[in-house]
Formats: sequence, structure tokens, C-alpha cells
Amino acid sequence: MNRRTFLKTAGLGSIAFAAGCSPEAEKRLHALVQAPDDQVPGQPTWYATTCRECPAGCGVLASNREGRVVKLEGNPLHPINRGTLCARGQAALQGLYHPDRPALPRLRVKGGWRTIPFGEAEALMCQKAQAAACPGKGRVALVTGCVGESLLDLMTRAMTALDSPAPFVYEPLALETLREANRRIFGVDGLVGYRLEAADRIVSLGADFLDTWLSPVEYARHFKQAHAVTDNTKAVLVQVSPFQNVTGANADRWIPCRPGGEAAIALGLLNEWTRGEKGTGLPGEVRDAIHRASGSWTPERVVETAGIRPEDFGLLVRCLADARRPLVLGCGAGAPNDATTHAAANLLQRLLDPELARIDTGRRHRLEQARAGGALHRYLERLAEDRPAVLLLNRVDPIHNLPGAGGQIERLRRSGTFVVSFTAGNDDTAEASDLIFPLAHPLESWDEYGGWIGLISNLQPAMGPVHPDPAPSVGDVLLSLAYGSRRPVADYRQWLVQSLMERAGLRQESDYARLLQHGGRFETPSEGNLPFVIPLVDAARGLAELPAPPVPAEAPVVVVAPSIRFYDGRSADHPWLLELPDALTQVTWRTPVTVHPHTASRLGLSHGADCRIRVAEAQVTATVYISEAVAPEILMIGAGQGHMAAGRYARERGPNPFLLLRLDQADGRTTLPMAVGPGQVEATGGRTPLAHTDGSRIQHDRKIALQVDLAHLQAPPRAEKPGLTMHDFPMTLPLPEGYDPARDAYSPHDHAGYRWGMVVDLDRCIGCGACAVACAAENNVAVVGEERVLEGREMAWLRIERYLDPADPTRVFFLPMMCQHCDNAPCEAVCPVYAPHHGTEGLNNQIYNRCIGTRFCAQNCPYKVRRFNWFTYAAPAPMQLQYNPDVTVRAKGVMEKCSFCVQRIKAAHNAAKNERRRIRDGEITPACVQTCPTGALVFGDLMDPNSRVRRLCDDRRAYQVMGYLNTKPAVIYLKKVVQEV
Amino acid sequence: MRALTFNTIDDTVLDTLRPPGWRYWLLIAALFGGVMLGAGCWLYQILVGVGVAGMNNPVHWGTYLINFVFWVGIAHSGTLISAILHLFRAGWRNPIARAAETMTVFAVCIAGLFPFIHLGRVWMVYYMLPLPNQRTLWPNFQSPLMFDVVAISTYLTVSSLFWYTGMLPDLAIIRDRAEGARKKIFTVLSLGWTGRHEQWRHYSRGYLFFAALATPLVISVHSVVSWDFALGVVPGWHTTIFAPYFVAGAIHSGLAMVLTLIIPLRRIFRYERIITVHVLESVAKTIIFTGLIVGFAYGTEFFIAWYSHNPVEMAIFQYRPTGDYAVGFWIMVVCNTLVPLLFFFKAIRTRIGWLFGISILVNIGMWYERFVIIVTSVAHDFLPYAWGLYHPSAIEFGIMIGSFSLFFFLFFLFVKHMPSVSMTEMKEIVHQGADHGA
Repeated sequence: MNRRTFLKTAGLGSIAFAAGCSPEAEKRLHALVQAPDDQVPGQPTWYATTCRECPAGCGVLASNREGRVVKLEGNPLHPINRGTLCARGQAALQGLYHPDRPALPRLRVKGGWRTIPFGEAEALMCQKAQAAACPGKGRVALVTGCVGESLLDLMTRAMTALDSPAPFVYEPLALETLREANRRIFGVDGLVGYRLEAADRIVSLGADFLDTWLSPVEYARHFKQAHAVTDNTKAVLVQVSPFQNVTGANADRWIPCRPGGEAAIALGLLNEWTRGEKGTGLPGEVRDAIHRASGSWTPERVVETAGIRPEDFGLLVRCLADARRPLVLGCGAGAPNDATTHAAANLLQRLLDPELARIDTGRRHRLEQARAGGALHRYLERLAEDRPAVLLLNRVDPIHNLPGAGGQIERLRRSGTFVVSFTAGNDDTAEASDLIFPLAHPLESWDEYGGWIGLISNLQPAMGPVHPDPAPSVGDVLLSLAYGSRRPVADYRQWLVQSLMERAGLRQESDYARLLQHGGRFETPSEGNLPFVIPLVDAARGLAELPAPPVPAEAPVVVVAPSIRFYDGRSADHPWLLELPDALTQVTWRTPVTVHPHTASRLGLSHGADCRIRVAEAQVTATVYISEAVAPEILMIGAGQGHMAAGRYARERGPNPFLLLRLDQADGRTTLPMAVGPGQVEATGGRTPLAHTDGSRIQHDRKIALQVDLAHLQAPPRAEKPGLTMHDFPMTLPLPEGYDPARDAYSPHDHAGYRWGMVVDLDRCIGCGACAVACAAENNVAVVGEERVLEGREMAWLRIERYLDPADPTRVFFLPMMCQHCDNAPCEAVCPVYAPHHGTEGLNNQIYNRCIGTRFCAQNCPYKVRRFNWFTYAAPAPMQLQYNPDVTVRAKGVMEKCSFCVQRIKAAHNAAKNERRRIRDGEITPACVQTCPTGALVFGDLMDPNSRVRRLCDDRRAYQVMGYLNTKPAVIYLKKVVQEV
Repeated sequence: MRALTFNTIDDTVLDTLRPPGWRYWLLIAALFGGVMLGAGCWLYQILVGVGVAGMNNPVHWGTYLINFVFWVGIAHSGTLISAILHLFRAGWRNPIARAAETMTVFAVCIAGLFPFIHLGRVWMVYYMLPLPNQRTLWPNFQSPLMFDVVAISTYLTVSSLFWYTGMLPDLAIIRDRAEGARKKIFTVLSLGWTGRHEQWRHYSRGYLFFAALATPLVISVHSVVSWDFALGVVPGWHTTIFAPYFVAGAIHSGLAMVLTLIIPLRRIFRYERIITVHVLESVAKTIIFTGLIVGFAYGTEFFIAWYSHNPVEMAIFQYRPTGDYAVGFWIMVVCNTLVPLLFFFKAIRTRIGWLFGISILVNIGMWYERFVIIVTSVAHDFLPYAWGLYHPSAIEFGIMIGSFSLFFFLFFLFVKHMPSVSMTEMKEIVHQGADHGA
């Protein structure tokens, strides 16, 4: 080798060596050499904040691990939700880490969009707003979703500074008519709270208080306080509505009625109560006024108008007559939602409960500030005349949920209005604006939102912003918009502190820190009831002045049902919620149109067939789901899907039933009833397979979701002789006492110190699915998509099985099913490599590293709770930031299943060991137990004779699913208690 | 027909080893293509995940294990014919013993591939071997899959040794008549066989002992395979009849496969004088017997399900003939139990066309038997909520084609390069005439 060759080789070699050190290898690891004060690697830091997924405003604790929020849990101190969250609240994280969440503002330019930096967008908006404010009044308009008092105050002042009218608060599921009824009958101009926990007979005319109505988590808890069996009694819920939702499924009796028939029933009941002898106690004027409103509603007319059976009306009357503490609820945001129904229900409540002990005027819902679709329609009409220069839309999506709004906004834009959409995600309305301005997610921003009027509940950033260019909060934008450089405070946070100092009586800013620690100030604003402002007679006249209830629409009626999973559509882009099966249909990813079998055969529709539903010019296409969970002659479509523009999970998926609705103009008022008819249906000839997760709707007489009659429970227990068949097999606890040499060849396990187990109270489970989403969030459970669910490859570790009573398919049973951690686990024996392994504390551990994927365990599991990774399922960036660092992310080829949140058990062990004590009962709450709004799930040590789970095992209702297989499951179920109404 | 002599036997058999024509190689190439197709499908599955197959929750076991059981079953009758019938001195087994044993060895090899294909993480399969390791992790010998590992490997070892031992004198005959490289190869393969009296004595003793050793294996291996199912709790699997039922089924399918293989072989290689119609008839008679056992087992399963009064058990046996997979069930019943009854008619069991057609039908029926057992049971087991259906995917069909191609690829290579009829054993019975002493 000569010198030149040597140099060439050496040069090439060193270049190759240097090039080999590509940036590819540089993986960023967290190395918190200088960690922030409140962060310890490996330990979660909890930030108290407030859920903004719906107007209810539940308190949240956000768990921050190494700089990222990985899990949301309810704030136990918060009076609205007391530590629990619903499925939508759990899934809020997916809004934060959504892969399609816009990072930068986008400005509409000719032929497309231009991405601009936040500064430029803000400057542009300021310039437009200031320019608009100069020439005259009302040149800037602001439509916002429900916001907290401080922000609303800022909005109002900012609009005043811009010489423009106050902001318009819009919520598609607002209950304006209920507010009006409250004003007329109770003298409270707002949305009062209900003490469901104090009632013994609840008659609901469609109020879906377990789904979306007012504050579902709060009411689910209160409802089960009254409705879960205690001392062998329980309250009764009778639900009258055109379709069954979670609330209807939990009713002791669901009575299907014609949409709009609720009004007739309310007035009919009122009439029953004041007619003849019953009304003699009432003053004459009151009787006359009530008679004017309801006198014509004889039972016969009610039955005919509402489309119910006469005996069902009798049942309602009897139910209220038998009640000691009755509660009548009006209708939900779905169905007619008219003031007359609400007012009649309210007045009936006032007659039945003269002290209004079940009405809580101290707990008024924040939703009361919002107006509904009809009002927004009028507002936009007025704007079309006023022609404002700038229209600001803050977290509202009227183009999706208000028919005609798209055209109105487009007309405004054509006439020169600059439309700005503030959005945390991406929605239909944003896509139709001039400027899309992404906002900081509520988990990234300072704010305050009290779900009740007067309640102070903080929002604080629970982590640094996800995107490199942090988006501002809407408060900051408004400050610069209205005041420019002459802003009264430096930023919105300061505004907030000042506002809270006034309202919460803080003396110094350090008090705010204390407020933040707790999550807010939670003393109930005012205990007890305010005195009535309105005498009964005026209330009765108030009802009489209202117009007669609208005539039910012509059949078949299209009904839009607010959705427990998607609310009005704002959560439709969260894959956990899409993969969570709908409680009633068990269909994932897609919203079908639910049709009664009789109606389906009359209209020639078959299950799974696509059909085109047309009302006037509007039409949507949906797949037929045949079920008895709807009244005949209606086409029920859940709200929320069918977005034209949104993230990848929501865009063009499912039907948007809002499009079919028609604004109703009567008596000079515009309303948007959620039912419209007649709909024209025709099968398109196509079929769409529905990705449902249930293999059968009924139990086939197997010992799965069991029920017991209340009367049976009240009778003294009878000794039953245990046997070896399915129906007389005794309880076999996963403890030495559960073993019997006559039955068991093997001796019991020696558990070291603890034997973990769970009790599932079927009488408390409402089937809402919060546990399933919490489980997915905690355990990095993969979302597989519709196609895979169709293949039967969903990954949910915890599912809520829905069974119907074959004799009466409107009776629904929910059964949460997860790994039973059997003592005698069929999965453990068959694995050739010990991947399912019986832990020393009774857990059935799945060792992912050891698993080779024979899938024998899953074949042999009678509960079918094991999930196989058929592929490697990757979450699109940046969703992987949500992964729980304590839980392995599984790759293809291994089996997985519920671990009883073993990472939490281990954490409790560490804490207990540090303090040299045993783990206390209730110290460990797996994610599902933690979030259950009704407390249906209890976790603990079965070996401790005083633990809650152990004591519940002695309940007369206790049983094990498929216990006769002698698997000795550690999940003990308590039978659902049913009662004949 | 001329009587067989030692020379005619040698000539007939050695004639089959002449260099093959282009049609043969074309067929071999096509089969190799099929093997490559299967291999490609498997590679794709390894790279992407087992999800490319059609299995799901609740049906986690699909065609891979169906084919596994199918091929193990095929493997069985080879040993039955060569070992058990040898012990019983049934002379009619001698002309077909070699072909049947070859079928056994290759079928076991192919069956052994399927558990690997089935695995989610085949690259971790060594976890199933009791290898000493620093974490002292051991396989779970409670698991029927571990029984399988032991049973199948034992069976493969014994049956291949038995097969090879039986071939030694024949290999020596070829060696003696071969030249060149071929001679060298067969010299090595025949292990120095000279035909001395001493060697013959050892050989016949050894062969007998092997036969005695292989006989319990015939019963045990498929019993063990049946325990993959019977030791599970799944309704439709968890029954005590499974071991004899599977053994009978295995022999049933294996005999049918023997017919399927030797009928064309007989024709192409002009073995009519060696593999006489009487031999085929005897196989057919045995098929009647195994078919009756299988039919009885089907009936017993239904009876026990009804007699148990267990709703889950009863439901699964109602589901099989009437549910989603009813077609498979009825194919199974008709092909396995009804069609073989036609062999009661002498006219049918002595006609080559009928024999061949019915043997194909029994093969199909037995494949469906495994499908019905494996798929229907878990598709509709304890929890109605979790019920689900399974359909094989294109990848699974690819691998299935690959497995059949591999089997025939190996078999065809064998018959053209090794003696497909045992000359030695034919000579043992040549004095018995065309009936082979039956």
C-alpha cells in the first residue's frame, strides 16, 4: 500500500465511521438531572384540575409521570364526582395527545390553508377586532361553549371593551326549557339539582341522568345511593322514553312511548292528581289553573297520544301514589324537551313534594347559562342582519350539531365576516372558518370552572404543552384582543387569581396555591332550599300559560339520542370511546339506527342493512340495528358521529343525525326538537357489518349475570343443599375454606399474606363503561380499530357484558367481566412455559416475556378474558406519550389480560414496606374500581376476615360466574336485585 | 396371472428406480413451488403477526392445529400397518407396509411443523425445551402441549428408526445392482449389510422389537394429542372418550390416506401383482371397522351430552349439527361413517375407482372432524357474550397448500429413489400366493 492509498482508505474510513453515528441512534431518554421541585422520576405527581369534556365539571386529579400526564382520576374531594369519572372524562387524555390536534393556527387563503405562527394569528385577530370595534357597536360577536365564571366575566368585559354584545353561550344539549319551567314553577331561574338519593320512587319522563343529563357522574352516584339495595329495600325507577339508553336500561321498568308523548303523560299524571277527590286539598284557584292546562288529558287521551298501554299509565299513577318520597323528572335533551313537559313534571313534583325536599336549589348546574340550538339559530339570523366584522367561535361546533348553521356561517363569511374558530381539537366548524386557532387543552391551561353555580373548581396545567409552540388559552387571546397592549392584567392567570380573590375571598396569592392543591373551594354554596318565590297558584298559572305540548311528529319519527360515549359529538374523536361498545347495542366504532323489530319488518329493513333516512331534503345513511330497546315506529340514531372534518377517528365515520332535525317555529319561538318526522327510509341494498362485541344477546340459561327478586331477598334465607351442577354448586372462595377434599384433588395454594379479590355488585353496575376506559388508560390496552373488532380481536381487558332477558328483551343486565384470577385457573395448567403464573398473593400473573403464543390459555379460559396480540398495535404519535410507564407495552405474539392493576398493588407494597405495616383495606384501587361512579367494584384482600371484599362475600347475593367449573374465581359477583313494579 | 418369484419382485421394485422422465420433474417442481408458497406465507406471518391468519377471540386455534391433528392422524396408520399388523402376522400388510411407513414419517414431520407455525412467537419456541438456564425456568409438564412435545418427538424417532431398519436389506439389494455414485450412496445407506445369517437374525429380532415398541406408541401418541383437548375445560373437548376416539379416527384417516397413495402408486409402478386387489380390499374392510368406531364415538358424545344434563354441554352438541358450522359437521358424519359403509358391498370394495373415491372422501371427512372439534367447541363455549366465528384466511390456505405440497414432494422423491415396496417382506410371503396368506 502506498501513501496515497493509505490516506484515501483512512479518509474514507473515518468519513464512514462519522456517518455511521447518525442521529437515528440518538433516542431521547428522560434524564431529569435537575428535576422540577415537585417531580421524582418513577413517582406520579398529581395535579388537581377540572374535567371539561362536558358542562358537568367534575374534579380531576391528573397523574403526571416524568413530565407527561398519563392518567386522569376523579378528585375525591370534589363534591360533584367524589373521585370518580365517566368514560368521557377518562378519555379526555386522548384529546390532549390526539395525533390530529392542530399544532399551529391555520389561515384560509385562496385555494387552501396557510399555517401561521401563533403571534401572527393573534396579531391578525387583534387588528381585525380593533378595526371592527372602531366603526360602531356590535361589530364583534362571540359564541362560546359553557365556560367558567371568570372566563365568562372576561369575555363579557372584553366584548364590552370592543363595544359589542355579550357572548352567546351555546350548548347543543342545553336545557333552556327546563330552566323556563323551573322559573315558572319553582321560581328559580336556573337548573336546580335533584336529590335522587332521597327519593324512593323516581319517575323519569326521559331524563337521561345516567347518560348526559346535567351531571351524569353525580346523578349516577346519587341514584345508586337510593337504588342499590340496602337493608333489603331499594328505590324504584320508572323511565318513560321513546328509546332505552343507559338510564332506561337501569330502570326497574322502562315504558316505551311515542316521541313527544312524554308531555301527554306529564299532563295526564297531573290531571290524575288534581281530578276528583285527590284535588280537594288544593285551593280552588290552583285547581282551576291546573285544570285549564291538564283537564283535557284524560287517561284515554294520554294513552292514545303517548302510544303507551293503559296499564302502563296505571302503573305510573300507582307508582307515584305508593311513594313516600317521590321524584318526578322531566325529559332529557333528547326527545321533545319542551317547556310544557318540564313544567308539568315540576308542578307534579311540587304537588307530591310540597316542601320540595328532593329539589336542591343550592346546587344549580352551570349548564343553565347556555342556550340551545334554536336560540343559536336565531342569534345567527340576527348576525346575518348585523353583519359583524368578526365572529369568534370558542369550542363550539354548530356546523356539526345544528342543522343549517353551516349555511348561516358561510353566508356570514361571504358577507365579509371574519370567522375565527378557537378549538382544542379539530371540528367541522373550524374547517369552515377563516382562521383556525388551536387552543391549549384544558389540561395545559389555567382556568376555573365550577359545575355548580358558586362552586369554585380550578384548572391548572398538569404538564408542559404537548406541541413545541405552546398554544395560548382563550383568556390570553381575549385579553390581547380586547385590550391590546393596555391590558389590565399581564395574563389570564393573573386575571383568574384576581377574579377568584374577589369571589372566593382569597386574601393573598398564596391562598390560591392552597385552592389549587385541593382543586377548588368545595363547600356547597348554600345548604338547603331557598324559600319559594312563587306561590303555588302562580306556578299553576305559569303552567297554564304555556302552549299546549306539540303534537307528536308523524311516524316513523327520527329521534336523536344524546350519547353517553360521544355526548353531542365532542368526544367522537377519542378512540377509547369508539372502541368502547355502546352500552345497549354493544356496537363499537359506528352508530347504527336502532329500529324496533315490528317497524323494521313493516319498513322492510333487515338487521345490518344500510338504509337511507330522509327528512325533507336532509338525508343520512346508517346501518339498521334491530332491537326492542326502542319504541315502535321510531328510528333512533345516537348523536355524535358523522363529522365532516375532524381527526382521523371521527372524520366521515357514522351518521350525523343532527342533519335531519328541523327547527320548529311556533309561537314566535324557534326550538330544535330532537325528534322529527316523518322520516323516509329506504334500504340502499348495501350492508355494513356492525362491529359488535356480543356473541349473543341472551344468557342461554347459564349461571352468568344473575338476578334475585327483592321479595325473595326480604324473605328469610332458606338453606339450600349444595350439589355439583351448574345451579347448585356452592361458593368456592379462592381460600383454603373453598377447597373440599371430596371435590378437589389438589390442596389449596399457600398465599403469602394477601389473597387479592374483587367484588362486583351487579345491583350497582349501571353499564356506563367508565371502568373499561379507565382500564385502557391505565394498562396501555391497545385500540385495534373497527376492522379488527369485526374480526373478533378487540383487546379490552375489562368489558361490560350486556345480556337481555329472553322473556322481556327490554330488561337489561350488565356484567363487568375481567380476569377472574381463579385459584384453580384453567389457563395456568395448560401453558407449556408457565407464562400464566399463580402469584404468591393469588394473582394470575401473565408473564409477557415468557409467553410464546400457544393461545391454549385463552382457549381454556371459560371467561374468555384473555386477549392475544395478533399484531403489534402502535398508537400514532404523540399518543404514545400517554402510555403508563409502569406497564409494559405488549408486542405481537403474546397473550395479555387484566392484572388487577398489579402495578398499583406493587406500589402499595412499597409504601407499606417503607412504613413497616400491612397494606390497609381499601389502599389499593385498580383503575376500574377507582373510577366507578356508583361504587359497584370493590377490591381487597380476601384473606383478611374484616376486609370489605371478604365481608361482601358473605352477602346472600354473592355468587361466582360459572362457579360450577370449580375454578374458584377471586371475582365475586353480587346478584342484581330486581323488583316487580 | 403369473406367480411372483424372488426375481420378479426384485425386478418390479427396482424398475421403479429407473431415472424418471420430465413429467416427474415437472411435478416435483410444481410441488416445490407449493412448498415455497407455504414457506412464504409463514415468513410473512412471522414478520407481521399471527393476525394474518383468521383466528380470533374466542377461536384461538384454527387450521394450524386442525392440520396438526390431521397429519398426526395420517401418520398413525403407517405404524399400525407396519407394526401392529406385523405382530398380528397379517400378510396383506407386507406389500403396503413400506409406503405406509414412509407416509408416517413424512406426515409426522409435517404435523410437527404446524405447532411451530401456530405459535405467536415461534422464535421463542426453545422455552418449551427443558434447557438449563440461570433463572431455573422449566417447562410446565402439566401442560398437554408438553406431552405433545415428548410424544411427537418420540414417535418421530421410533417410526423413522423402524422405517430405516426395515429398509436395510432392500438398500443392500439396490447397492448390489447400482453403479457409480449411486453405489457409493447406497453402500453408506445400507450400513454394510451383507445378508449373513447373523445379520438376518439380528434384523428380524430388531424389527420385531421395534414393532413391539411402536405398537403402544400408536395408541399413546394420538391419545396424547387428544388430551390437548380433553384436558381443557371447553365443552365438546372435555370428555373421557377422546383418547380412543382420536386413535380410531387417526387410523381411519390414515388407512384412507394409504389407499389414496397406493392406488395411483400401484398403477404407475405396475405393482398390480404385488399390491393385489385383495390387499386393497383388506384395507377397505379395516376402514369399515374404524369408521364404525368413529361413528359410535360420535353417537356416544351426543348421548353423554344429553345424559349429563349440563346445559353448556348440551348446547354445544346442539350447535354442531344445526349451527354455523353445520355443513362441516354433516360432511364429517357422512364421509366418515356413512360412506365407508359402502365397503360392505364386495363390488365396491374391489373396484379401484370406488376405493380411490371413497378414500378421498374419508380424508376430507376426517379433516372436517378436526375442524368441527376444534372450532365449534370454542366458538360457542361457556360465555354466550364471547361467542364468535372463525374463517380461515388466505395465508392459512397458503400454508395448508404448502403442507400438502411438502408431503407429496417428499413422498414422490422417496418412491422414485427408494424401494416403495419392501422386497424383503414380499419375499417372506411369496409362497402364500396372491392372497398373501390372509
